[in-house]
Formats: sequence, C-alpha cells, structure tokens
Amino acid sequence: MKNIIIGQFIPGTSFLYKMDPRSKIIALMLLMVSTFILSSVSHILIMLGVVLVILKIGGIPVTRIARGLKPIMILLLFTFTFQIIFIKTGNLVFDTDLTLTYITLPIILLIVIFWYFTKRYTRFKFLYLLITVFGILTLLSLYNPGSIISSSHLEIYQDGLEGAFFIMIRLIIIVTLSTILTLTTKPTDLNLGLEKILKPLGIIRINAEEIAMIISIALRYIPTLLDEANKIMLAQASRGVDFSEGKFKDKIMQIISLLVPMFIISFKRSDDLANAMEARSFVPGKRRTRLHTLSWHNIDTSVIVFCVLVLASVITVRIML
Amino acid sequence: MNIIEIKDLSFSYQDEIQALSNVNLSVKKGEWISILGHNGSGKSTLSKLIIGLLKADSGKILVDGVILNEESVHDIRRKIGIVFQNPDNQFVGVTVEDDIAFGMENLCFQQSEIIEKIKEYSKKVDMSDYLKKEPHALSGGQKQRVAIAGILAMKTDIIIFDEATSMLDPKGRASIMEYIKEIKKAGVTVITITHDMKEAVLSDRIVILKEGRVIACGETNDILNDKETLNSSNLELLLPLKLQYLLDEANISNDKVKDILWQLSLNK
Repeated sequence: MKNIIIGQFIPGTSFLYKMDPRSKIIALMLLMVSTFILSSVSHILIMLGVVLVILKIGGIPVTRIARGLKPIMILLLFTFTFQIIFIKTGNLVFDTDLTLTYITLPIILLIVIFWYFTKRYTRFKFLYLLITVFGILTLLSLYNPGSIISSSHLEIYQDGLEGAFFIMIRLIIIVTLSTILTLTTKPTDLNLGLEKILKPLGIIRINAEEIAMIISIALRYIPTLLDEANKIMLAQASRGVDFSEGKFKDKIMQIISLLVPMFIISFKRSDDLANAMEARSFVPGKRRTRLHTLSWHNIDTSVIVFCVLVLASVITVRIML
Repeated sequence: MNIIEIKDLSFSYQDEIQALSNVNLSVKKGEWISILGHNGSGKSTLSKLIIGLLKADSGKILVDGVILNEESVHDIRRKIGIVFQNPDNQFVGVTVEDDIAFGMENLCFQQSEIIEKIKEYSKKVDMSDYLKKEPHALSGGQKQRVAIAGILAMKTDIIIFDEATSMLDPKGRASIMEYIKEIKKAGVTVITITHDMKEAVLSDRIVILKEGRVIACGETNDILNDKETLNSSNLELLLPLKLQYLLDEANISNDKVKDILWQLSLNK
C-alpha cells in the first residue's frame, strides 16, 4: 500500500502543465458553458475538433481519455437508447416489426444465457454485447411462425438519431475536458487553485480556505486510512471473517466489522490531528501565509482570451441562427 | 528563572475520575525536565493543559510570567511546541515541506523566510533529501523528525515531547533522543513526557506522577537514589537500578560484588 497515487496526474511538459491551475479551471468552465450553449450537430462537431486539437497540442494520449470515458459508458448508452426510442419527430428513418412468439422466446433466452456464460472469454466485451443485442433484434424482426405473445414496432426517426448523437458528443466533450484538467494538474495544485477561485464566496460567509484545508487533509489521509482498512481486513480475516464470499446478509456483517473499527480509528485520528494543528497555532479562519503560491503567466492570459473568444462566437452563432 | 509555573492544578474528565489533583510544578528556563509516570498517571493530560488544549478545573498555569487563559492561549502556544505520540496523526501537510511549513504559515511568516527555514531545519533533522516525499513513504522516526523540524522552525522557547518515541523502533527512538540533546544544548527548555526510565535519566530533573499526583520531584540523581518512591511508582525500573536494589536487599556490599566478579573472570 506504499504506492497509492491519488488523482490521475501524469507528468508532462506541454503548455497545459505550464498553466496556472486557476486559469485551467476558468478555461474549463468557459469551454463547458460553450458546449452547453451549442445546439446543432455540426457546431458541436467543430467543438469536438477543437477539443481534439487541445489534446494533440497538449500531448495527452487519447487512450487515457478513453479510460476516463469508460465509467460513463453505461450513461452514454442509456441516454442514446432513450433518445432513439422516445423522440418521434422528423423523418422516419427505420421501421421494423418486433414480434415475440413462443418459438423465439426460448431461443432468445438461450442466446442470453450463452452470452452470459461466454462473455468472460472474449476480449471485446462491449462489442460482444452489441453483437448479441443486434442478433436478438434481428431475430425479433424476422417473421416467426407460432402463436404471438406480443408485437410492437421499433421506429427510429431522424430527430431522435440526431438528438442521441448530439447528446453523446456533448457528454464526451465535457468528460474529456475535465479529464484533461485532472490529468495535467496535481491534486494539491488543483486544491490551491480552487481555493483562490472560491475566495470571493467569503462575502456569503463561505470560507474557501477552510474548504481547501479540509480537502488537503482528506488528500493527505486517504492513503493512511486505506492502509488502516487493509490492516483491519487482515486482522478480521485472521479471526475467520471471509470478505470475498458469503451471502448478502453475511456480506453486510463483514462490512460492519470493517466499518465500525474504521470509524472509531478515524474519530481518534481526527481528534489527535485537531490537537496537533491547534498546538501549532492553527486558528480556523485566521489569515495565514502560504508556502506554495500561484503565478499567472502570459500563457494563462492567452488561453483565457482564446476561451472567451470561443464562448463569444458560440453565443453569436446561437443568436444569429 | 521559572519559565513554567504550575500552581494547584486539578483536572477531571467528564467521567469524573480525577486525572490531576493539586499538581505543583515549576520548570526552569533552559532545563530538560522529564515527567515520568505509568499509563493513566495523568502525564499527557498535564501536557495538554500546559498548551491550553484542555481547560483546568482549578489552579493556574503561568508561562513566561503570563497566566494561561482564553485570551492568552494563542500567544502562549507561540512559545510552546509539542511533539505528540502518534507520528501519523500529527502530520498535517501533504508533503514533508508542507508539514514543516504548516506552523510557520499559521504564524504568517513571509514565503521567502518559510522556504529558507525549511532548508535550514530539514538539514538539522537530516530530512533535506525527503522534502517532496509524502508521509506514507516515510518511517515513523522520519515523521517525528519532520514534526521536530516544524516546531524548531517556529522558534518556540519550550518543546514538549509527549511520548514522542513510544511508537518508534529502537533506532528511531535513539535518533530522536540525540535531537532532544541537541535542542537542549541550543538553549530550548525541553519537557519529555515518558513512561520509560531509560529516557528520563538523560534529563536534568525528573517529576514522577502517580494517579494524578506528583509523588516525587528533584534532580535526576536524587530521584534515582530514592528507592522507596521509585518502588511505589509502579514504574519499570532500569536493570542496573534493579540490580543495585537486589544487592542491597541481600546485604552484599559493592566490594564483595567486585571480588566475586574478579573470581568469575579468573576461573573462566
């Protein structure tokens, strides 16, 4: 547990690494807003192009971005399917009967069972799933003899297709942009940048420095607590708790046997830490100086200007069309 | 001159067990004093009271002539540094340099000064090669050294070591004791809180606490000769001391021991 790396930071030397975290966060916001204002497929494709160019110049491998997109794959698929099924305006592009009969039902069940047990052996799980779904749909759309259980239409309209495509690209752009930020900024720098940006919130009595201090302590203690959790799991395992198997009810008991000591240790730790911080003259909300400060360079100004121009042109396009 | 003066100090936790009762103690400027006691003798409570983390039920504490109360507590904390027992739970910074800087940041030192002092004091505790390292890459002894550097950089007049070595391996323990000796030489008042007599004998004076009361207080040599008090303190005695007591009990004089030892070495 000695090599835990928090965040996804990968070292590099491109312009993205020379930027101030503040300007990176602001630029991210500007580009995100621009992406949300855009309303047509062709414009959002241009935006995607811009993002790809940033990736290229920034020297970020596309494979890392793909890894960032993986967790939202389900969400993408979900929205895509919903858009296609429920938007019924525009030209009809595709129409097919889906008829479920007493003959196709067991065949489909067999296919699903086959897919379920064989999916672990293929390397392209997602592709395999698509092929299976496509196969089932094809089977349903064929004319089948036998008595009919249900019959329905799958209709795909142009607007639905465009909408689905549009939303998917938009989500991909937003996730890519935020992945760029986390890939090129160390968590501590990000924290410092956020603190400076949130500083004006002091007017409504939100203390950005305190929030930043909480985040930095959380960052510092994540590896320690993981280490602790590991130790407790080993200790419980040596007393006969099996964390890998068991029924749902047993699982809950196992998790409790991990959580209770974790909570007690965390409270003890936070108590000690609060004492240590106070003893070293920390007073919440009091002004303090900083070892690390941020410096604004020309590159930051130019990137912000670029992003403002993007936003301005996006707004103009939106108003004009 | 007494830098810390404790008068009739009493304290009890919420469960109403008296943790300290009527403690009187004075610490001279520049001396190294050990507060020695068994688990639950109230020694850590005493250190928390001195630095104002707990509030006394009765009695008063004077630090450098100033009475400790809610107004003066922040000024007094500037004069006292404390190294706690658990190396992990007092490491505030994300990296070594951040942690050394933490106290100075709180005292509003200038950035250039902070950088300079980090260099100076990390060298003093032999941690200058680790400035960018994160705490989970360090050993317990190294973390305690970082804590010491952080407090030295704050230039406090008094440093309390609250069982600072009890969670370390023998090597880490020995190195921390070396740094304490150096700190004392530099003129800082040192208070070590421990249950280990081996550490206490290095100091100038020893205070023995038992069940929240001071049962002995004096020069280290005098305390070591006070057999009755030591025996009643429930402390684990040093081996030479134990041997001495056993020999006394058996009425064997030192000359006789010498003769027996000679005999043994010649027979061999």
